[in-house]
Amino acid sequence: MANWPETTRLIGTRIPRLDGLAKASGKAKYPSDVHPEKMLFGAILYSPHAHAKITSIDTTAAEKLPGVKAIHVVAKAGATLRYQGDFIAAAAATTEEQARDAVRAIKVEYQILPHVVTEEQAMAAGAPAINRGGNVRAGRASVHGLSDQVLAEIEKTVNDLPAAEKDKRRKEEYEKAVNDVLGKADAVVEGTYSLPVITHTCLESHGLTAHWTAADKLTVWASTQGVQVVANELAGAFDLPASNVTVLTDFMGGGFGSKFGADIWGKTAADLAKKTGMPVRLFLDRAQEHLAAGNRPSAAGKIKIGATKDGKVTGLIADTHGTGGFPFPYVYEIPVSTRVHSDVFVNAGGQRAFRAPGHPQACAIMEAAMDDLADKLGVDPLEFRIKNLPTDFHGPLYEAEIAMGAELIGWREKRKPRGQTGTGPIRHGMGMALHQWGGGGAQDKKVSCTIHPDGSVELKSATQDIGTGARTVLAIIAAEILGLNPTDIISNIGNSTFPPGQASGGSTTTPSMSPPCYDAVTKARDELFKKIAAAVNAAPDQLALKDGKLLVKGEPAMSWKDACRKLGMAPVSETGSFVPGLSSVGVGGCQFALVAVDIETGVVKVEKIVAIQDSGLIIDKLTWESQVYGGVIGGLNYGLFEERVMDPTTGVMLNADMEMYRLAGASDIPEIIVRAYEPHEQKARGVIGVGEPPTISTAAAIGNAVSNAIGVRVSQWPMSPRNVLDALALASKEGKA
Amino acid sequence: MTEHDPKGRGAPGGASRREFLRGSGVAAATAVLTGQATAILDEAQAAAQDSGPKILKGEVELTLKVNGHDHACTVEPRSTLLDTLRDRLDITGPKRVCDRASCGACTAIVDGEPVYSCTTLAVSCQGKTIETLESFDTGEHGVPHAFCKDDGLMCGYCTPGFVTACKAFLDKNPNPTLEEVRKGIDGNICRCGTYVGVLQAALDAAKAMKGA
Amino acid sequence: MKAFDYAAPTTLEDAVKLLDGPGSVALSGGTDLISRMKDYVTSPERVVYLKDVKSLAGISGDAAAGFTIGAGARLSDIAANRALAEAYPALHQATVEIGSVQIRNMATLGGNLLQRPRCWYFRAGNGLLAMKDGKSLVKAGDNRFHAIFMTDGDALFVSPSSLAVALAALGATVTVAGPKAERTFKIEELYQAPKRPDESEHTITHGEILTKVTIPAGAGKNASYEARHKQAQDWPLVLASVNLGMNGETVSSARIFVYGVAPIPWKSTTAEAEIVGKRITPETAAAAGEAAAKGSAPLSMNAYKVPLLKTVVKRAILAAVGNRYWEV
Repeated sequence: MANWPETTRLIGTRIPRLDGLAKASGKAKYPSDVHPEKMLFGAILYSPHAHAKITSIDTTAAEKLPGVKAIHVVAKAGATLRYQGDFIAAAAATTEEQARDAVRAIKVEYQILPHVVTEEQAMAAGAPAINRGGNVRAGRASVHGLSDQVLAEIEKTVNDLPAAEKDKRRKEEYEKAVNDVLGKADAVVEGTYSLPVITHTCLESHGLTAHWTAADKLTVWASTQGVQVVANELAGAFDLPASNVTVLTDFMGGGFGSKFGADIWGKTAADLAKKTGMPVRLFLDRAQEHLAAGNRPSAAGKIKIGATKDGKVTGLIADTHGTGGFPFPYVYEIPVSTRVHSDVFVNAGGQRAFRAPGHPQACAIMEAAMDDLADKLGVDPLEFRIKNLPTDFHGPLYEAEIAMGAELIGWREKRKPRGQTGTGPIRHGMGMALHQWGGGGAQDKKVSCTIHPDGSVELKSATQDIGTGARTVLAIIAAEILGLNPTDIISNIGNSTFPPGQASGGSTTTPSMSPPCYDAVTKARDELFKKIAAAVNAAPDQLALKDGKLLVKGEPAMSWKDACRKLGMAPVSETGSFVPGLSSVGVGGCQFALVAVDIETGVVKVEKIVAIQDSGLIIDKLTWESQVYGGVIGGLNYGLFEERVMDPTTGVMLNADMEMYRLAGASDIPEIIVRAYEPHEQKARGVIGVGEPPTISTAAAIGNAVSNAIGVRVSQWPMSPRNVLDALALASKEGKA
Repeated sequence: MTEHDPKGRGAPGGASRREFLRGSGVAAATAVLTGQATAILDEAQAAAQDSGPKILKGEVELTLKVNGHDHACTVEPRSTLLDTLRDRLDITGPKRVCDRASCGACTAIVDGEPVYSCTTLAVSCQGKTIETLESFDTGEHGVPHAFCKDDGLMCGYCTPGFVTACKAFLDKNPNPTLEEVRKGIDGNICRCGTYVGVLQAALDAAKAMKGA
Repeated sequence: MKAFDYAAPTTLEDAVKLLDGPGSVALSGGTDLISRMKDYVTSPERVVYLKDVKSLAGISGDAAAGFTIGAGARLSDIAANRALAEAYPALHQATVEIGSVQIRNMATLGGNLLQRPRCWYFRAGNGLLAMKDGKSLVKAGDNRFHAIFMTDGDALFVSPSSLAVALAALGATVTVAGPKAERTFKIEELYQAPKRPDESEHTITHGEILTKVTIPAGAGKNASYEARHKQAQDWPLVLASVNLGMNGETVSSARIFVYGVAPIPWKSTTAEAEIVGKRITPETAAAAGEAAAKGSAPLSMNAYKVPLLKTVVKRAILAAVGNRYWEV
């Protein structure tokens, strides 16, 4: 068991990242920048069809083109292609232009198969079945809060039915039971809410540069968030000892959950490099990045929820579907609920983890329903939320965070009831939403710390920086313990041969890596003290480090470098492991949005977002804030702009670019106020990650703010002019607005 | 004589040759295909070759002036400035992201103006002055320093484009307001969401550059 | 992108010669053409770079005589020209909203006017009319960004040039040079709705080069207003440009063109008729907006463009007399 120091000099302050200048000056070499000698350029042929079988594939002509050194076919005759963007083959050539020509010269004959690419198509009666078990896989209904007796009765009713009817009947019985509860509610709302598929759109596309340094030794520069995952995958694919594969990721251009593995393109790059005996660079083009490199699944839900006059939710029925799953209900204490979820299969690229998987969808749908219910009850949605907070430790946490956020957005003074927002064309509205995330750290990661006689300090671990500042966080911890500056620390990560490090996902990197870093540096420092104590005529426990100096019995005795020189020729090197007490798991968080909606154009401008986030002890406030800003902006994109558009007839993605696939630019960014909720008891929890939580509730808060502004629920995200104007037109037709 | 171009994004079929000949010009539409197409082409070529400018084809030897140095390289007419910088000259500050003039990651400064190098042909840059961010002042009066100090970057892949767009903007607008900065860098997209730091960095760099 | 031959003439005469052959295309800014070539939507055999033809660039004239803008003038040059901005706010407002700093530095007036539609079916290689097995992909598919006028025809894309709309409202003419005689005609006549798959959306052919745009003097009260999804670089959803001749307080003549609603720059004769003879008030402007929607026939996913159209016409009219009520 260990604790972070009570008072800190560096931890919790704002420290620019160590590699910031390298990135900002163009000198940082990303995996897609690396150019080993004799390197060939790769290009990929991928499926132009949503669903097809390859009847023949002929590379003869392609192989004869100038500059072409090798072609590697993955999908051979007979292979089925399941989506536009599915991998077929790749070529390696002297120039990139030649490689692109080569893949276009591969002659492929396809047998086109029927496709479904939208949820609507997949779920339509008579749709071609593209998935074994059907295009729609209904899960079993789940239930919460019914008494054992009621559940037993339901099981009795269901028991004698044939297997195929059981699930359906159980769902009906659950809903009947919850409906009984809702029948006693003072207000009940029913709404349907939906969010589209969005893609990760990593700016550096997926891929790697492969280089065989010997017949059985492979080095790759991979754009990945898991150097060791990629190393193990490649070692397996080429039947190599794991130690013969080195994955290097000094920098990488964004992953967001989609870049853990080597992927088929990574293996193909290594194959091409092996065939040609030359290094090969192979990265996806922008379109394939959208098509094949992952996405956040869609989500839709028909929600029925009720509450009593005094604002207590009594029950909820949810019928949800999407191209993936999500947790539901979300955050709030719902006494009785039932839910059934259906996974919908389409001929489009598969989902991958995407910054807080499932949570943004769950949050948007839950918070929309909560807001609509508060509106029906005629109560302040903020007060309504407070009455239905979870009863565990999150409850008081949320309450404190809501108070902070409400103050900063001006909720009590400025917020008007839904729709009562004036008469001009521009309507202002406010909305809020709560989120939760687990995070936490792995306990099997290691960091090594070497103190050299010249005073240099080197940390090593096989983690990587996905953009959160991992390198800098480790250096800050080391500098704090050694009385040095972060810039004095050489923080080496992004190499799979280093001590086991955490893959960057799920907000786990900092909580996984901080404890072993603390442990390694503490051990190295103690070892240093042991080794030099005699030379400074003191006992090891009479030594300390402060402001770049060695203190002997509390008095400055010499500089850090002079102290290290006393090591003679032998450096000190220690490996640190997980230590309990330095990290924790589980966060809340809340966000508020202020929007201006032009009801004549449907254009939504977000004017202000307030984000309150807890995450235990913060190591670097500057990069921590950046992650929260970034999470909010990601959520703003989800709330306002993003949407994968599929064509039902041709089965292709219509906006696989960065023009019609819209992402915010500088003029779309509102004022964003970020605050850490970090009272003493939060700091005492230790380190918790922050990558995911702040991106969860932004789209939900924006959706609620839009409804507040215009008096009408816009039930489809994103909050585009089309969706806003369509919602207004529908309400007008129904006489609601 | 319909030649089927596989369409973009790996798809087959697509615009026929006849089709692209109609109205496919940026500043001009072109001749319709006739029975004497080949003859016309040859004639026109011959005429142009006699008196007019050189027609470049195949591989082209080129000298580009980048960051104050002349770089000789071999390109094709279709090689973009971006691919030439990155693949041939190992100048990898400018990044390839959208590759279609939408995101700004490839921004380079040509004859003093920021442009998208992904949709600029290298052959059209002969004789022009090309600057990339590798040539910028990395000291505390420079734009890169402000990006680092204000954490106007996360993964850093869009950062070169933002730094370049900012530098070009500030050179022409030394005293910008926040709104002017936004407009000035609206041609760039960041996915991590670094805009708050980027905008602060631009304002801070404007002040710092005056001290240089 | 397929390989091609390349030439960079410095005179208009050479440019015309080089373009007078099949498979030749002209390249200016490249932001559209190069992207299309990368997507293999356009694969020329020869690319003729026009930016070195200095005679194509330049802006001349004054408020009294009218202005001539070379087709090679960059959008950033047009945006920065104060005299143009003062005489033709409709042009200035449309120009500064196009693309980004980088786009405006690269793109030229000629390139903007002759860029190809952004229709995503066209860009995916399905041709301008986007027909498959005799059926319209647009009608069966995602047509949120498509036309709401002329939808009984086969061309459902929207004409992509916002400058064409502003310049048409201002009564501009274009001049084209080619192997035959130079000719000058109204800018709106540069565009047509193709009826067959082999028809172009532009009326100039045979190696003609657009050389200049002339805007007459004496424009009325004019303005452009656009609605778009993003505030940063984005395409307008719908944009209106108006040019109102005034007799005292009364509108004596009106030219109103709209972007984003038809396969051509859409001349809203109904809105023009509604506003002529009226004083400009919020009510008459709104009535003109309502009138603009007459005859619109949206597709399955773009009915929202009807209220947008009404709004942008109303706002452009009011902006022309300095009433920007939505900015309060």
